[in-house]
Amino acid sequence: MIRLENVSKRYGDTLAVDGLSLHVPPGELFACLGPNGAGKTTTIKMLCGLLKPSVGRVSVGGFDLQTQGDRARQLISYVPDQPFIYDKLTGREFLEFIAGLYGMEPVHAARRMDEVIAIFHLGEFVDDLTERYSHGMRQRTVFASALLHEPKLLIADEPTVGLDPKSIRELKRLLRQLADGGTTVFLSTHTLDIAQELADRIGIIDRGRLIGCGTLDELRSAAAHDGSLEEVFLRLTETDPCA
Amino acid sequence: MRVNSQTRAFRRLRWRQTRNHVRSLWREHPLRLATPVATTSVLALMVFGLSLAGFHELGRHQAPFSDSLIAGLFEVLFSALGGMLLLSTGIILYAGLFTSPEARFLLTSPASAARIFVSKFQAAAAFSSFGFVVLGFPILVAYGLVARVSAWYLVLLPAFLTGFALLPAALSSIACLLLMSLRPRHRRSFLIVLGTVLLAVIGFWLHRVGVSTRHAITVAHPDALRALAGHFTLASHPLLPGRWMTDGLLAAARGEIVPAARALALLWGTGLVACAAAIALSTRLYRTAYDRASDGRRRKHRISGHWIDRAMAGLVGYLDTPTRLLVVKDFRSFRRDPSQWGLLVVFALMLALGAANFRSFTTRTPQGVDLSVIGLANLAGTAVLLCAGLSRFVFPLISLEGRRFWILGLMPIGRRQILAGTFAFAATCSTLAGLAIVVGSECLLGLPPLAILIHALTITSLALGLSGLNVGLGACLAQFRETDPSRIVVGPGGTINMVIGLLFLTVTLTLMAGPLHAATVLRHWQHSPATPPPLWIFAGLPLGITLSGLAVLLPLRLGRKALEQAEF
Repeated sequence: MIRLENVSKRYGDTLAVDGLSLHVPPGELFACLGPNGAGKTTTIKMLCGLLKPSVGRVSVGGFDLQTQGDRARQLISYVPDQPFIYDKLTGREFLEFIAGLYGMEPVHAARRMDEVIAIFHLGEFVDDLTERYSHGMRQRTVFASALLHEPKLLIADEPTVGLDPKSIRELKRLLRQLADGGTTVFLSTHTLDIAQELADRIGIIDRGRLIGCGTLDELRSAAAHDGSLEEVFLRLTETDPCA
Repeated sequence: MRVNSQTRAFRRLRWRQTRNHVRSLWREHPLRLATPVATTSVLALMVFGLSLAGFHELGRHQAPFSDSLIAGLFEVLFSALGGMLLLSTGIILYAGLFTSPEARFLLTSPASAARIFVSKFQAAAAFSSFGFVVLGFPILVAYGLVARVSAWYLVLLPAFLTGFALLPAALSSIACLLLMSLRPRHRRSFLIVLGTVLLAVIGFWLHRVGVSTRHAITVAHPDALRALAGHFTLASHPLLPGRWMTDGLLAAARGEIVPAARALALLWGTGLVACAAAIALSTRLYRTAYDRASDGRRRKHRISGHWIDRAMAGLVGYLDTPTRLLVVKDFRSFRRDPSQWGLLVVFALMLALGAANFRSFTTRTPQGVDLSVIGLANLAGTAVLLCAGLSRFVFPLISLEGRRFWILGLMPIGRRQILAGTFAFAATCSTLAGLAIVVGSECLLGLPPLAILIHALTITSLALGLSGLNVGLGACLAQFRETDPSRIVVGPGGTINMVIGLLFLTVTLTLMAGPLHAATVLRHWQHSPATPPPLWIFAGLPLGITLSGLAVLLPLRLGRKALEQAEF
């Protein structure tokens, strides 16, 4: 579903992503970890087509993001760390806008809206203006809009920030269900527990490079350390790559 | 199918946003809804009244309305408005396309680049041409009524105005896209060179206009006037839309429908072709341009302390350390935001131009009533610029803290101190700027020391009072959700602040400087200019100073209460 081939992204003299190659098959829940400023968000932005790679090729579902971007984005839903939502729309109107943007048939859109409203428990406030929503309500509405059109790839950047424990638990169950149902989930997070609990594979990015990728056991082998993900992560990221 | 669905979705989005916004305002803040409507109507009526009086005056002197005089006036008017539309649409569109969270959101959706561009272009063109319509429509209607034009003129006027707004908006959007997508690697150097060249060209042209104006005033000869008019011939170039607009409107005024329709078709045709070109260009360039804009934002810049910040800290050295740090923080945020200091540069250029014009009068050494009128105009002009500058830069300061206000709210300083710091920043900068301009230019003009002293006192009172009003009302009418300072300024709160500021300015000027100039005129009428000024010229000073004190204390007190009650 996701294919990055030797992708680099340069901002002036700064190399944010350096020769990244990655393949994520359909139905996999892939967690991307890395210290602050490692290049995770830049990678995600290239996956969404928001940024273009300086070198290399990014494709989603077989569509090259640079030449067939609109078709690729039809398959994607992106939930950023600071999600955008129109303040002067109600939650329902926002969902209707998303349905129109993805060209959903009205009957299908109405049925899916009822479903996501139920899944994310939006019923109590979905007809209020979103400017009155709390952070958690906004986050749930954005997730509902992201899943409305049944994307083939869900990209989420720090999805649990601002959610209460119950919502986090429900979100984790939902993400796992989505992956089991064939949707590819690309998760960027600093919460190592979530990555350890949910991910089929974990990628660790540091200074723009993929320094480790695989299951937890494969990462343990790479780090030559038989500890928790936190210990493996710290061991891998604290090793000086130039040493 | 999907394209049609997206078009419908965007149309519905804009309609719902507008409807919900108006509804929530109507329910919760009806005054905020009524204020912009009322102030816009008052402004349009004032422009209409002034234009009506001006055109009547021309008619009284038997100026031929369909002659080259009106054509020249219209061409200069439309060229100036077209230039303003070009700039304002470009700036608004840049913010909408490259820095807004909405653009970032839409670019990750399957919405086509052209669809996003069209949505932002419509918003930018509508926002920037609003002022053009509010100002242009009353002037042109006033001309139509006074000149007793054909009914076709009034029928076609709205179509001409909207058609005229299309071309500059489309051209500026094309320039914006090209500049962002094709800009060279060394952006800062490129912009500095471009800005310097533009300023040099405009400065050279203004210098030549200034020289010709002075020559025309001095010799008062038709050749000199023709030479002066020659600097504006570009405005009547047959390839410029200002000329098409003028030709079309004047033809409609004479009832000549065919040439009027031809000009209208030319305006709309060219505008629509330019819009189509801009949309086609956006399909190819918008995503690339966005990528390059992000490149510029993400480059690493090492930012260290600057001597300007230290100078600012020195200027407010009379404050305690926490308040001084707040002032320097405000100043630092301001000088690092190009959209803020860019406007300040425009203000500075206007002030420099005004000072240069006053300087040119020194060759004629005006005296008596002339000198008094020029001095009063100088003072009033500086006061209006101060009022506009403070409304634009200081009023939005508290609002701009926005969702970050909790940082200040949790600091071990009172909210009273936050307001005091902002007031100190505004009052120090505006008083120094006002005094420098007024005293400097009036020394050049050769005004008597007493007049300079009274003017200095007046501008100081105005600077302090306007600073208090802008800081206090800025806190009372804060819009913490808004991140764009220009939208805060043109919003309901900004409009109320501007109206109150102008009222305060008028009353203070009348009280403090009015008697001095009235006495000069009286002595001129009584043919006794050498007699010493009467004591009553000082009568308004204590009143003006008291008013200024109230303008500082009352709004700051209201602002402090509003800020202390605010929850973050």
